[in-house]
Order: sequence, then structure tokens, then C-alpha cells
Amino acid sequence: MFVSVGVFAQDEEKAPEKKQGHTNNNKFKQLYDEFSTPNMFRSASGAPGPAYYQQQADYKMDVELDDDNAKLSGNETITYTNNSPDALKYLWVQLDQNMRAKDSKTPLIEGGGIAPAQQASTFANDYMTEPFDGGFNIESVKDDSGKALPHMINRTMMRVELPKALESGDKFSFSIKWWYNINDHVNGRGRSGYEYFPEDGNRAYVIAQFYPRMAVYSDIEGWQNSQFWGRDEFALPFGNFEVNITVPADHILDGTGKLTNRKDVFSKEMMKRFEQAQKSYDKPVVIVTQAEAEAAEKSKSTSKKTWKLYAENVRDFGFATSRKFIWDMMAVKIGGKNIMAVSLYPKEGNPLWEEWSTKAVASTLKSYSRMTFDYPYHKAISVHAKNQGMEYPMICWNYGRPDKEGNYSDRTKFGMMSVIIHEVGHNFFPMIVNSDERQWTWMDEGLNTFVQYVAEQDFGKWYPNALSEGQTSYPSRRGPAEKIVNYMGGDQDYIAPIMTKGLNTYQFGNNAYGKPGTALNILRETVMGEELFDYAFREYAHRWMFKHPTPEDFFRTMEDASAFDLDWFWRGWFYTTDYVDIGVKEVKKFYVSKEPTAEVKKMAEARGMKLSDLPPLVFMVEEGSEDYKEEMKNGTLLDNSPSLKEYVMDNFTPEERAAMKEPKYFYNVTFEKPGGLVMPIIVEYTYSDGTSKTETYPAQIWRLNDKEVSKSVASDKEIVGITVDPKLETADVDTSNNSWPKEVKQSDFDKFKNEVKN
Amino acid sequence: MYKIKSLLILLILPLFAFIAVHKYYVSVTQIDYIKEKKSVQITSRIFIDDFEKLLRERYDQSITLAKDQDEKQIDLYIEKYLKSKLKININNKPVNLVFIGKEYEDDIMNCYLEIENISEITSFEVVNEVLFDMFKEQKNIVRTFINSKHKSFVLIPEKDKGMLNF
Repeated sequence: MFVSVGVFAQDEEKAPEKKQGHTNNNKFKQLYDEFSTPNMFRSASGAPGPAYYQQQADYKMDVELDDDNAKLSGNETITYTNNSPDALKYLWVQLDQNMRAKDSKTPLIEGGGIAPAQQASTFANDYMTEPFDGGFNIESVKDDSGKALPHMINRTMMRVELPKALESGDKFSFSIKWWYNINDHVNGRGRSGYEYFPEDGNRAYVIAQFYPRMAVYSDIEGWQNSQFWGRDEFALPFGNFEVNITVPADHILDGTGKLTNRKDVFSKEMMKRFEQAQKSYDKPVVIVTQAEAEAAEKSKSTSKKTWKLYAENVRDFGFATSRKFIWDMMAVKIGGKNIMAVSLYPKEGNPLWEEWSTKAVASTLKSYSRMTFDYPYHKAISVHAKNQGMEYPMICWNYGRPDKEGNYSDRTKFGMMSVIIHEVGHNFFPMIVNSDERQWTWMDEGLNTFVQYVAEQDFGKWYPNALSEGQTSYPSRRGPAEKIVNYMGGDQDYIAPIMTKGLNTYQFGNNAYGKPGTALNILRETVMGEELFDYAFREYAHRWMFKHPTPEDFFRTMEDASAFDLDWFWRGWFYTTDYVDIGVKEVKKFYVSKEPTAEVKKMAEARGMKLSDLPPLVFMVEEGSEDYKEEMKNGTLLDNSPSLKEYVMDNFTPEERAAMKEPKYFYNVTFEKPGGLVMPIIVEYTYSDGTSKTETYPAQIWRLNDKEVSKSVASDKEIVGITVDPKLETADVDTSNNSWPKEVKQSDFDKFKNEVKN
Repeated sequence: MYKIKSLLILLILPLFAFIAVHKYYVSVTQIDYIKEKKSVQITSRIFIDDFEKLLRERYDQSITLAKDQDEKQIDLYIEKYLKSKLKININNKPVNLVFIGKEYEDDIMNCYLEIENISEITSFEVVNEVLFDMFKEQKNIVRTFINSKHKSFVLIPEKDKGMLNF
């Protein structure tokens, strides 16, 4: 009782509430709070600092494939160079295969509950069978004198204890002996493994994450030993790889690095064809034909062959091997150097693969080299895998398979071309511009999706016969602004900011690929312009080529090289889930008048002034207001405002007056912004004579009012229509408020229904 | 890594195996009541490859969802399936959905359905079980705009019904 009386009394006495103060929440506030302070390792410009360092890991490996048992074993020697200023007591080595171990915790973090009905096979596999016996079997970890090194395995990470701390500048060599059962990557899904072909009993292997790999030690993370759960990819140091791979003698193999014993593994015929391929710039030359591959499928060699590969300055190593492989190559000139574009595919990929894979590789290298730097490796390989796309240095696997009769839909064809462009493009991000994928999926996927869009459009131009009937350009799935509208305008409960660790995002594809890719495309085409953007983007690629950049290094470089303050753009697009929605709220039309309006009279009165005290003024009257008279529409500007006429006569010569503009129509246009993102306002004004003009007001127009802004527009022609974002280039999620007069647009539903009726 | 949707896996494999390319299984259905037209307009956006997988599994292995295919037969299957999985009660009575058609947009299929002759809505109940028989992680987002009110539901196998009273 008392309480309620008390509350009541308090409410009665309460004065009108005065707003509390606040911190700077302006959308143009610089990102000082989000960014770390620049230091000697990383400069404020976004470039590597004077004390920037990175570790090096060199590998020597002997690997052997047991095709009968689908088992891979190896012995590797890692030489680790500590370029950091710190002394290291232990080293962390990544054991990614352990994600597939029986005791893997990966399944344990998946929610979902019980489904009301399940396929019998799913049910059996979920609840009734033993899981696949995957994961590394580490046989030994030894120093270079053969002495065992103490080590501890925490799931996908292994800590190797050093006999004594590794001082700055010192090297340490140690070896690991391992083996594991290779998984079926088609039925088990995986980025590495084999596909089994029951018709001929052979396997095609695409092998990666197959060896214990050094973790990254850096100025930002220390050891990047965040566990591999299966989705977020990798962080790896650069190094040189000397790898000898022993496989059945009838296998065809290619992988990261230069083949150093070509004469041992190539037939004379293959050698001859290889010579031809190096001079073929317009179409691929077949090194192993389909007939030869089909012949090889029919038997299994019991002897072995060793393929020797050597790669310098790569962050990883992958290879593909099978007796089923058809092999073709062509040359492409990049910066005066000959690069080989290569494809490996079983006959199941044809006729699609022989026609397009190698050409797509060559085209991608050209486009990406233009957007970043000249491709520095000597080859790029596209391997056909049934249903996955995955990238490694110089080699990647890609999906896109015709049906058994060799037919394929447009979806399969463009899916295949796009995934090849995407995965070959990954050579640039993150294989060379080596960002941390474990932490920031978007840094490689987003940047790569952006350049992929540019490369796809190039491909459509360079190979018009790759397009289907009726198409005038390559049908890119991601890149154009309107393609991200459904995601950004969607349910906020299922959207995470781009600046989120990859593992923890909803809608992975839209979050880490689609949105950042589109954001950069919008930044290039609509906000900065191609010239400014491309210079800065290339600068970023050059600065961080063969190094480890962070998001800030990218954000800072883009501004440093362009004099374009983009903090508002990064903040909105990358740090929030806000969306774009800008519209025209209201348009008022004004005419000039010699008579002061009621409003002006009131203002004068309030200040105790007589009308005769006012200086010479040009009065503006809104059409339809009480001061408005029809005749204001007639006569020229100067006729209607004697004070303006006198001023002009007094201050300008007749020649100057003759050159003066004389606008007749004046508008007060109010734009509203229901969306949280600030963006430039792109406005198309349409005039009564049918012409139109597009005006772009920079994003900073929103700096003092985040909700709405008004612009005065003077025109000598009457404006009959105003459209915001007429070409749909800002990803505006609601275009129903984009035009004046308000256009009643037919809904997509009604449009479709009418089409069907007709 | 390029994101593709892993369907097969769900059917054949133990859980741990397919996590590597775990996909987001989701459809979005927009339901608008246009009073002047006495019409409830329904647009369902469903991933083509998910739906193709379903049609193959359920009706015919040779089905390919792409332009220039046997549209009539495929439309019949789509209609039959959607009508059995998307169930709507208006004013506490089950209503008939008219399948108008479908169109492809990149990797998504837009399906259009309509409920005719609805002069008033006092209550609206929607059950959306589309693809629940294929993917146990499937989520169907249903957004409604009825009587000037926006509402959104996330329907999952354990809770497949959304209710609105006006």
C-alpha cells in the first residue's frame, strides 16, 4: 500500500525528463575503439611495420599411399625458424585429421535435437554404427639426433616440448612419423579424401591437411592454436616444401610445387605433349587422354612410382592422384612469364571438364593478376571432385559433374565455372595474401568472392560462347547489390556481423562470402569509384603478399591509399548487421516572391522589427500555402523578386548577367533513412521534358541527422519524378519508399500471377 | 572453400562427417493478406538443390530443377508436396491453397500460392513442414503481414506451427 502511494507521489512530482548525456555514437566516429593501437609490427597506414616478422616452416616429406587400404603414411622433417623477438619454449603443430577421429568433439557441438522422422540409413548411422576410424596416428616425434621429443595432443593441436627454448633467430628441426585412414570425402563430406567409383573399383584422391602442420605464431595471436572444429579453415606459416609421394605406378599425380623428376614419371609421349602445351595459349593440350585413362582404369598396377615435388614460399601443400585422371594443360602469359593452367579429371567430368576447366583457370589467373599482383607461382591446377570446392596453393578441387549421359544443366555448368574461378582465385587470398582463416573467414572468402565476381564478368566477355542462349553477361550469383537484399533485409535473429569468427556465424555463405563480397563491389562501383578502389585494393594485395594481414591492415590500407575516409563504411557493413533503406519522404515546391510570407512577418514581429527594417530579401513561397498565388508561376525569377534584380544589376556586368542561370523551380526534398546503414544518396531527377539527371550526395550528408535530411534543389525545368537508387546499386532492402510521386509498384506476387495468366 | 549444400550426407552419414561443409537449411515464406483483393498471397523461397533432392527422393530420380525441363510434371509434384506440407487454417477453418507456379532465381526457387475469397481474418494458423522429411536441421521462417501487422515465426520439426489471433 505504502509503496504504491509512494510511487504515485513520485510520478506526480516528476519534472519533464531531461535527457541524459551520452558518448559519441555518431556513425562517422573513427574506429579507434575497435582497432588496436598501431605499433612497430603493424603501422597505422595499414602496411607491415618496421619490426614486422613472420615465422618460417620448411618441410621435407616422404609420403606413401596404400591404395588397397585407402591409407596414407608419411615421415616429415620440419625446420622451424623463429623470426619473432620471443624465445619459444614449445611449438604447436596442427593435427587437422583428428577432427575425424572417433573421439572428435566436432559432433558434440552440433545442436538440433530429435527429428520426428528420419531416413532409416541416417538413423542407423547416427545411432547404431561405429564412427569412421579417422584421425592421425602419430608414431614418433623426434629431434634431429633421433631422440624422442615429449609432446601432448589436445584434440587437433599438438604441443611439442623443445629441449631448450628456441631463441629469436634460431632454427629447430624435428621429425614426425604418422599415418591415417583416408576418408570418403563424397559420402562423408570433407575437404580431403577419396571418391570411390563402384563401376571400375577405383578411387580418385584429393589429399590435403594430410600432414602435421605448423601453427602460426604472430604478433597478434601468439600461437594461433584455436581448435579445428571442421568449418573454419586454416592459419599457416610460409615455407619451402620438398615432398616425395609414392603411389601405384599407374597413377597420374599433380600437386603443389614443381615436378622435379618429370623424366621418371612421364612417358615419352607425355613429354612431347607437355612441350606442346607450354606453347599453346588458346586451348588446352591433353597430356593423358580419356582413352588412356579409361584403359588404366581396367587394371591395377602392383608396382610403385615416386613423384617428387618442390615448392618455395607456399603456406601449404596438397595433391591429387588416381589412375582415372585425364590431364590437360595450356599456357597463359602473366607479366611476361609463362604460367601453366592445368586440369585433372576422371572421365565422369566430361564433356564439361575438357571444354571449360583449363580455360577457366587461365582466365582467372589473368583477372586476379590485374586486380592484385602477377601470379607468382608457375602453375595452377583444377581437379574435379564430385561435390566440393576447396583450395590449396597451386591446386584446388572443384565440383560440377554431368549426368551419366553427359548432359548438364546451366546450374551445373555455371556452378562449375564459378567454383573453379573461386578456388583458383584463392591462390591470391589466402594462399599468398595469407590471412588467418580460422579467425576471419571473410578475409579470404569475402575478398575472394569480390574478385571472383570481377573475374566471372571477364570470363563471360572473353569466352562469350560459354554463355547460354539469351545471356549477355556471366550470370554471377554473388556481387551485384540486389543479390544480398534478401539476406540483409532478413530475420535479424539469424544474421551476425561480418566481423565474427567464422565458426559462430549463421548463414555462413551469406555472412562470410556474399555480404563482404557485395560490400566491396558496392564500395568499388558506387562509393569510391573503380580507379580509387582498384589502386588501394592492389596496394593492400602488394603490401601483404606473402605476409599475414589482419582486418585492420586491410581497412587501414584502403583509406591510406585513397584519401577516402571509410570508417563509417567498415563500421556499418562489417561491424553491424544494419541494412540500407533510404527513401524520399516529402517534396515541397517553392516560388520566389516580392512579398514577405506570413512566416517571415511572424519572425520579424518576434524580433521586434518592422517589415521596412528588413534588408533586401528573396522570399520563398510554398506552392499551395496561403501566401501562394497562381501568378508566381509566371514571369522570370528576376521579375518576381525586385530585390534580387537590384542586387544582380548592382553587382554584375551585362555580360556576366547574360551568362547567369535563372532557375524557375525550387524544391525542398526530404530524404528519410529507416535503415541503420549510412550510404550516399543516389537520386535521379526526372524533368517535365523527359530528360533526367542523377545526383549523388556523399554518405556524410547523414552526419548530423541519422534519420532524415532535406536538400534544396533549384531547377530551370519542372521536376516530375524523383527516384532514390534508380539502378539498385546500394542493396536497399525496401524500395517502396524510393520514389516520388509514390509509385504503386506491383508486388512480385502480382507480377508473377499476371505473367502466368498471360 | 566454396559453400555447397550437403544433402547426401545427411542421409547416409554419421553426424561427425559432414560438419566440414555444414550448410544452413532454411526456407523463407512470406504471407501477405491483401484485404481489397480478398486474397492471401504466399511466396515460398526454397533452395533449389534441397528441393531437387527432395523431389528425386520422393517421386522421380530423373528430376532436374532447371529451366526447359518437363515443367508440367514437375509443377504437379511441387504442388502436391507443398499442399501436403504447408497447411493453413483461417478463422479456425482449413483453407485451400491454389498453386500459381514457381520461378528460379539463382540457387533459389520461388513458389507462389494463393488463398482466395478471404474477406476477413480473425485468426491465422500456419504449419510449414516443408523439407522436414529430408533435413532434420531444416528451419522454415514464416513471415506474415496480416491486418497491417508484421509477425515472423521460425518453424522447426519440434515446433512446426505458428498462431495469430486478431
